[in-house]
Amino acid sequence: MTNLQTSRRRFLAGLGATGTAAVLSGCVTASSDAKSPATGPVTLQSNLSAPQAKAAMEDLAAAYAKKGSERVSLNTVAAETFRTQLPTYLTSANPPDVYTWYPGSVADAYAKKNLLLDLDDVWASSPDLKRYSKALNSLCTSSSGKKVFVPSTYYWWGMFYRKSNFAKWGVKEPKTWDEFLDLCDKLKSKGVAPIGLGAGGNTPWVASAWFDYLNIRINGAEYHRRLLAGKHRFDDPEVRKVFDRWAEVLPYFDPNGTAVAFQDATTALLNGRTGMMLIGTFFADAAPKDALDDIDFFRFPVIDPKVPLAEEAPTDGYFASARSGRTKQVGDLMKYLATAEAQEIYIKGSSGTVLPCHPDAKDAGTPLVKKGRAQIESAAEITQFFNRDSSDALQPTADTALTKFLAKPKDVGSILTTWQRDAQKIWSA
Amino acid sequence: MSADSTALKRRRAATAGFHLGAGLLATLWLLPIVLVLVTSLRSFDDVAANGLGSLPHSFTLGNFRQAWVDGGQQRALINSLVVTVPCVLITLALAAMAAFALSRYEMPLRRTLLLLMLGGNLLPPQILLIPVSKLSEIMGIYDTLPALVGVQIGFGVGFYVFVLHGFMRAIPNEIQQAAVVDGAGPWQIFWRIILPLTRPALAALGALAFTWIFNDLLWAITVLRSDTKMPITAALIGLQGQYVSMWNVIAAGSVIAAAPTVAVFLRFQRHFVAGLNLGAVK
Repeated sequence: MTNLQTSRRRFLAGLGATGTAAVLSGCVTASSDAKSPATGPVTLQSNLSAPQAKAAMEDLAAAYAKKGSERVSLNTVAAETFRTQLPTYLTSANPPDVYTWYPGSVADAYAKKNLLLDLDDVWASSPDLKRYSKALNSLCTSSSGKKVFVPSTYYWWGMFYRKSNFAKWGVKEPKTWDEFLDLCDKLKSKGVAPIGLGAGGNTPWVASAWFDYLNIRINGAEYHRRLLAGKHRFDDPEVRKVFDRWAEVLPYFDPNGTAVAFQDATTALLNGRTGMMLIGTFFADAAPKDALDDIDFFRFPVIDPKVPLAEEAPTDGYFASARSGRTKQVGDLMKYLATAEAQEIYIKGSSGTVLPCHPDAKDAGTPLVKKGRAQIESAAEITQFFNRDSSDALQPTADTALTKFLAKPKDVGSILTTWQRDAQKIWSA
Repeated sequence: MSADSTALKRRRAATAGFHLGAGLLATLWLLPIVLVLVTSLRSFDDVAANGLGSLPHSFTLGNFRQAWVDGGQQRALINSLVVTVPCVLITLALAAMAAFALSRYEMPLRRTLLLLMLGGNLLPPQILLIPVSKLSEIMGIYDTLPALVGVQIGFGVGFYVFVLHGFMRAIPNEIQQAAVVDGAGPWQIFWRIILPLTRPALAALGALAFTWIFNDLLWAITVLRSDTKMPITAALIGLQGQYVSMWNVIAAGSVIAAAPTVAVFLRFQRHFVAGLNLGAVK
């Protein structure tokens, strides 16, 4: 009996030792330069989980399969899941090959960790990418000078309003800051909350659009980018000027602005409870179909005409994992995604409010989209958006600071000091 | 006489007050569920034009179709059941055996073992996400359903052992002694005496385990990455877009996702209440 006990214990101990050894040796293999297999279809991990966008991506994958011998296997993951799991995907031993994501500093953060595939050859050999604008070229280049990203589409931000409501209230689009203040005054006298926001619920980041726009209108895009990169401070007098301007229009904000999420704020705008809203074109997806033709927008008013005109135009596109073994197939897919044909297929299948990055590709052709394209083309500088020009880690610090400012605009001094302290932790991390 | 009637009146008033209060509380409790059900029957244009909180202006069953077919909930529901059913059966079997050994026999280190299992439950799962995902990768089972089954069993078993141990300890020792006198071995005692007596607790835990595993999202997105393998919870958040969410379809998807757990609870409701009582009162 005792004999049996010892032998069993020894057996268990042995099992444990073997297991540990297996795990340890596994660690060693995993940390070495493992790559995904070199054959088989390219895996494309997509965060476009909204039904229409998902269907458009499926169309795109089907068109690619018809085009040549290569195949792509599309894997759509919920946008929220994708955002949290992207670092895990990129660092896993057998990662997906291609990902939908953002260029600029967001992609650069991954490139600095050597997680992104070098796409210099793709850019050099693609006849389409050679013709992309200079701005897109530099946007897709990492800080070490390598191309790491292929852009596909972008969208724009503007002051959206309902045409019939503006006609009913007898008001017109403003051009300058003073005209804008007059407009707000007029709307308020008619019992309408002039400016809707939608920074409540799970969309506090919407408020950052106001910070971005005021900053690029007052201090310029160059200062804005340097500020978000940690080269200026949030408690600088320049930033203080942004909040002084904001305080001028704050009385015109919808009192529910920080209480409702942007989708509910959209409903309030469409029902005429608010007059206008600074928002990206994706908001059209939250509007009922019969209201779409009634939606229009105007450029964020110019504050200082001496500052070069900049606009926010967040770009979307693709990058690839450095650990992908299918580099040849990835290159082929990337070149296809950069063609006008691929971008037109996606725009046709999706809700059609995005613009193609390819200079020759046709957009959806609606008056709204044409106006949006003209707004971006007349801009001297392009910014992405707060989180895309900085990092996903810096966004929550902005959300906290801006929400506090909207509630207590008088505390702006202490709010900016706290913001700088929180941001410093992230920049030095 | 008059004293009697005032007492009667007071008692009646108290009863009426109780029913009124309880009724109000119950309505408050059911309100969100009603809101989800109503939303699941509205069209997107109606929700977008009038807001979520408004009275419905439309009626459609198309949302359920959209969630089931376009949202991939059919496949996701199958995945969920493929994970949940074996998980519940295996965890309960393992936990019952472990609890039997720990509660009915003088094992060395049994206190330590129990405390270890309790301690494991106090650990927040978030700190284990990265180890679990790396480990499943090293073992070559990352992005497979068995990985999820393994994780769920591993994290569930400690708690079930703890609960079943408490329950089995309360079974009188004389029953077991009588069986030993009759010549029953440990396996027979477990299978024919203890297990039948533990049935209420097993049923209650089974219903709980089913709900927990079925409703889990965290482990699923930690060890899976293909949309064809995701369970129903992951498919449900997949219905949310990057910016815009179609609340009517999400509500319909939630109703579909909640149906199996509600069915299990209704089926095991009797055992569930009995099981909890039996565990609490010795």
